[in-house]
Amino acid sequence: MGIQEQYRSEAAELLSSGEVKLVIGFGAGSTADRRRPLFARTPEESEKLVLDQNCIANLTTYLVAGGLLTDGKKVAVFLKPDGIRSLNILIAESQVKAEQVVIFGFAIENNEVTPLEGRSISDFAKLGEKLRTATPPPSVQEEAERLEAMGSSGRFEYWKEQFSKCIKCYACRQACPMCYCRRCIVDVNQPQWVSTSSHTLGNFEWNLVRAFHLAGRCAACGACDRACPVNIPLRLINYRMGKEVKEAFDYFAGESSDQNPVLASFRQDDPETFIL
Amino acid sequence: MTRILPKNKLDDCIAAWQKAGFSVLAPVQRHGMSSFGEVQKASEMALDLILTERTIKDHFFPQTEPLIKYKISKHDIDSETMTPPERKRIFFGVRPCDASGLEIDDPLFGWDYKDDYWFRRRENSVIVSIACSEADDFCMCTSVKLSPDSTRGADVMLRPLSGGNGWQVEAISERGTALCDTVSSLLQEETAQAAPLPRVDGKFDVEKVMEWLADKENFESRFWKDISMRCIGCGSCTFLCPTCHCFDIQDEGDTYQGIRRKNWDSCSFALFTMHTSGHNPRNAQSTRWRQRIMHKFNYYQGKFGVNSCSGCGRCTRQCPVDMGITETLQAITNLPR
Amino acid sequence: MSESFEPKIVAFVCTYCTYAGADLAGTSRLKYAPNVRIVRLPCTGRISPMFILKALQKGADSVLVSGCHPGDCHFAAGNYHARRRWTVFRALLAFTGIPEERIRFSWVSAAEGAKFADLINEITEETKKLGPFTQYQELQKAIETQSSY
Repeated sequence: MGIQEQYRSEAAELLSSGEVKLVIGFGAGSTADRRRPLFARTPEESEKLVLDQNCIANLTTYLVAGGLLTDGKKVAVFLKPDGIRSLNILIAESQVKAEQVVIFGFAIENNEVTPLEGRSISDFAKLGEKLRTATPPPSVQEEAERLEAMGSSGRFEYWKEQFSKCIKCYACRQACPMCYCRRCIVDVNQPQWVSTSSHTLGNFEWNLVRAFHLAGRCAACGACDRACPVNIPLRLINYRMGKEVKEAFDYFAGESSDQNPVLASFRQDDPETFIL
Repeated sequence: MTRILPKNKLDDCIAAWQKAGFSVLAPVQRHGMSSFGEVQKASEMALDLILTERTIKDHFFPQTEPLIKYKISKHDIDSETMTPPERKRIFFGVRPCDASGLEIDDPLFGWDYKDDYWFRRRENSVIVSIACSEADDFCMCTSVKLSPDSTRGADVMLRPLSGGNGWQVEAISERGTALCDTVSSLLQEETAQAAPLPRVDGKFDVEKVMEWLADKENFESRFWKDISMRCIGCGSCTFLCPTCHCFDIQDEGDTYQGIRRKNWDSCSFALFTMHTSGHNPRNAQSTRWRQRIMHKFNYYQGKFGVNSCSGCGRCTRQCPVDMGITETLQAITNLPR
Repeated sequence: MSESFEPKIVAFVCTYCTYAGADLAGTSRLKYAPNVRIVRLPCTGRISPMFILKALQKGADSVLVSGCHPGDCHFAAGNYHARRRWTVFRALLAFTGIPEERIRFSWVSAAEGAKFADLINEITEETKKLGPFTQYQELQKAIETQSSY
């Protein structure tokens, strides 16, 4: 039995026994290679679940949307390793209770889907360590290094061009599982810290605030980057922030579900080479 | 015999138009995004794109636009109206769906108040459409009663020749005729076949959809919740839509001076209908999605006699969670009656 | 840079240490560059990165953020939290093209009036060498003109 069939039947069992109220997985999309989030509430609906190499979205986003988990009931969700990282962060930040989430874990390597052992977040403790030492995608690393080598005025020009494309549709925010603030700072108007207008200056403000708020909280799932309709390479900023917290504080976001959020904690001997 | 614009005369065309005082805008691929941008040479144009990621709406109704500049002093308020520049522009290589989008929005901007910002730009622009030679899975113009060579909203219609080395030229409006006259020496009289149009299959039955939407019983239907469950509430579908036109007026500045701006707004945002009191009449994503569909295929039709959709399919093509108008309207078409 | 360029420096300081340090510099009659505008806040932990961004947008040529030495925070740990935030924010600004030299961080205690005066003099001199910070101001100016399309 393939992994898709195995997970389908397990999902059907969980739903029919009432163990979970909902299974969040993937279904067929509008084209042959698109997959879309699918919400199965009955065993029959779970027959529509699809699992293949095109299932790349990070579905943890839905766990924190619309008060889904406020009734205390359980939900099952299909997660890749980056999704498991996100879930770790959400649990560490007390947004999700570990016992409310059943995980259907899978990994995609060389277009092959393989199952990940375990159904509860505690089963994935080893995965965090493994991910910490994994090398980031070379394309991202190389591009970030190319920017680093540019010098600050070159980098400014680069981001000015990129951010001038931004239309403030907030797809990056909405697609991100970590952007769960009830009221995002851009939606706060007293005082209006971030201008609502999407001129380049306002776009700089928004993109910097977003990146800063995700520093040390980003699971590098790439949801924001894929969601961006104007192709701003948000992955580069996220990568740079992840690198900073790793180098400065030896911190890897989402490594475990009980780590202290990096910017909400400190060590007395944190580095401070730049402080006069 | 038809009039032909040979591809190798395009550079001369651009030069002639520029000489006549026009800026020429065409599909371009810049900084990793396709949109309409100013060009100097034909080689800068990306005419092979099925559709640019951004629409030409951006150049008539920009994402942010200053309206007035103001200064508040002890006794006075000084304000200065900021009007868009009068600039003659040619939009070359517009797809029929985008061109239709402009015409769909005209009545909205000219209804009870004539929006100078929109019409100044409209009146100074000439739309040169090129019929599509390719369509993708998301194109749906035929479902909204348009076609890959619809002339709606166009001043000049170009139809690609089957050999690929030029276009048949048809002036649609007076403005289009005048534009063709400026380059008449570059056009040739020839017998040349136009390339066949791409097939765009009907995806839904818009009449059935409108009928269902008009039934008040369906406003509170469970359908809306089910269809929009995966919507994450971003504004990419509205901002990339050639006909979406909602905006917000914002004062940006400090206590003593600032600029009043007109910014795009989206019915997908929770904040769109949020009251000062904190009450939100559209407090769930399903009600916002319903608004989007109702506005396009019911309210707009009721007010202006036309649906606010030109079938470009960007809403689905670019949706982060693979939603969009097509799926919803398909589902409505297939609902049991 | 021309001789006449007088940089604007905005200093976000905590009220318990650096502000008191600046006060001491004043009462000790120490002379330092008049280019600094001080914004007093309860604690460095209260200094939002937005403050720095806004200062740079609205005309600052350099920004100084300063508070109590580690261990001295009136609120016990505000400066430790701030330190982590600065580390990350500094990297972010640098990556998006704001020269690191434009944003300075320091610890100045209530007893270090002389350090404060020296620091301001030094930052003023260095900012003079760097010249005006125009990148954000140009974007700010662009807002105030009618969009070209």
